[in-house]
Amino acid sequence: MDNNVPVTPPETEPKPTVKRPMRPMMQLLISIAIIAVVVIATVFLFKYPQKLGPIFITALVVTLASFLLLLILRHFILIWFSYLHQRELSQGEPPDVYPFVSIIVPAFNEAEVIQSSLSSLLELRYPYYEIIAVDDGSTDGTFERMREFEGNHYGVKVSVFRKENSGKADTLNYGIRRSKAPIVVCMDSDSRLTPDALRYAVRPFADPHVGAVAGNVKVINRHNIWTKLQALEYIEGLNIVRKAQAFWRSVNVIPGPIGIFRRTAIEATGGYDSDTFAEDFDMTVKILSAGWKINYEPKAVAFTEAPEVLLDIIKQRYRWSRGILQALRKQKHLLASTGGNITTPLSLWYMIFEGLVWPAMNIFSNLFFVWIALIYGMTKLLVMWWILLTILDLLIAIHAILMEREDIGLAIYAVFYRSFYILIIDVTKLFATLEELVGLDMSWGKLARKGRI
Amino acid sequence: MRFDWVNILATVIFVSIVVTLILAVASYFAYKVREARRPKTASELRQEGKVKVFFNEYTPKG
Repeated sequence: MDNNVPVTPPETEPKPTVKRPMRPMMQLLISIAIIAVVVIATVFLFKYPQKLGPIFITALVVTLASFLLLLILRHFILIWFSYLHQRELSQGEPPDVYPFVSIIVPAFNEAEVIQSSLSSLLELRYPYYEIIAVDDGSTDGTFERMREFEGNHYGVKVSVFRKENSGKADTLNYGIRRSKAPIVVCMDSDSRLTPDALRYAVRPFADPHVGAVAGNVKVINRHNIWTKLQALEYIEGLNIVRKAQAFWRSVNVIPGPIGIFRRTAIEATGGYDSDTFAEDFDMTVKILSAGWKINYEPKAVAFTEAPEVLLDIIKQRYRWSRGILQALRKQKHLLASTGGNITTPLSLWYMIFEGLVWPAMNIFSNLFFVWIALIYGMTKLLVMWWILLTILDLLIAIHAILMEREDIGLAIYAVFYRSFYILIIDVTKLFATLEELVGLDMSWGKLARKGRI
Repeated sequence: MRFDWVNILATVIFVSIVVTLILAVASYFAYKVREARRPKTASELRQEGKVKVFFNEYTPKG
């Protein structure tokens, strides 16, 4: 393929589509049934609380106590395994040789940020790598801006391609097919790698069983409450959850902004699929199910631009939630898989717990507490519950921030984290789950970039 | 005058949870309305088979 040809022939692979599992009439009936059950239950609970008697009160108290116990247990287990992974990392040796690496940069209408992203890639402190930038049929001049970087930059070859619009998964496959390196880095065009990211990113591949490595994603645009809350969410999520999963070498999401793959692992799984809206999660599951291990490298850092307004955050989380459910539905046979690696089904069940069970529990526990406080006047219980959870959140936030050597000022946002931010995100997750279950149509939902990177 | 801090704090927590839940549901529906009113992209129109064709390619017969 000639790099100088501005427009390549259209791809013959299928466009991203989402299956419609149910007929519209069935969707409508299920939606009406769900709403009716919720309304009837709510009316009954508020109108006849005395009829339910002590059994209901006992059930409520047991549910809430279980939720609190589960919350504390979850944090304890995650912190323990994240500590064990951190201890492993501190004993690790730097690699003897640095393999050739191809960095794939897919872009669709990213004119605002693409040049900053490519500039950062030319500043990497790594001896032997190339950059393959693929424009997914942009209409805002992204390709023209990419072309300015085409060529050789002090030993780093930048190849630029353009193809018909066919989605991110297909664009990544297009770039991967044009690379020859044994290690492939897939990133978002709105991300920026730190200069030493690659040197650390290749370190876990010293283990021949590791097929992929998840990098550390940080929020770059921290200038309002929404982006600061997301920055804290990324720091906590990556430091606690991903490190704990990495101890078992079964990280369950390789993030879009920085995912590092062994070429043979990608080839064994057939590359990215276009039939879900969470191609990174889908790819992760495929790699795990093929028997590869997935590690996490905290020093392979990528900065990304987080959505700055509430509706854009909802848009992003809605897509993630439905995409994860689509991928889980696609790979549901693995949930009951008992042969070989037990960590894959465990990892998927954990994803169902975090994506479905936990948001529902969080919303209902909040509602229950408010209801108890209102009906039975248990204000002390409500205050105690809130203070305990806030202390727990603050301690975890401080622990994660200190581990990551981040701005300690972010810890104060932990006060608003559970009862405000996570509640909003969980409501979105719950709606997204219901819509996915009834099979409503959805689109990719491109976020408008502000050019902060 | 002595403040009952427990009741005040409970009221603040209660109001913040209820307001957040209302905000969350309202924001979700606002997002859905915004998405419904958004002009569709060319690729979405293509998927739905509603793409507007301005020029049809001429194919010589024979």
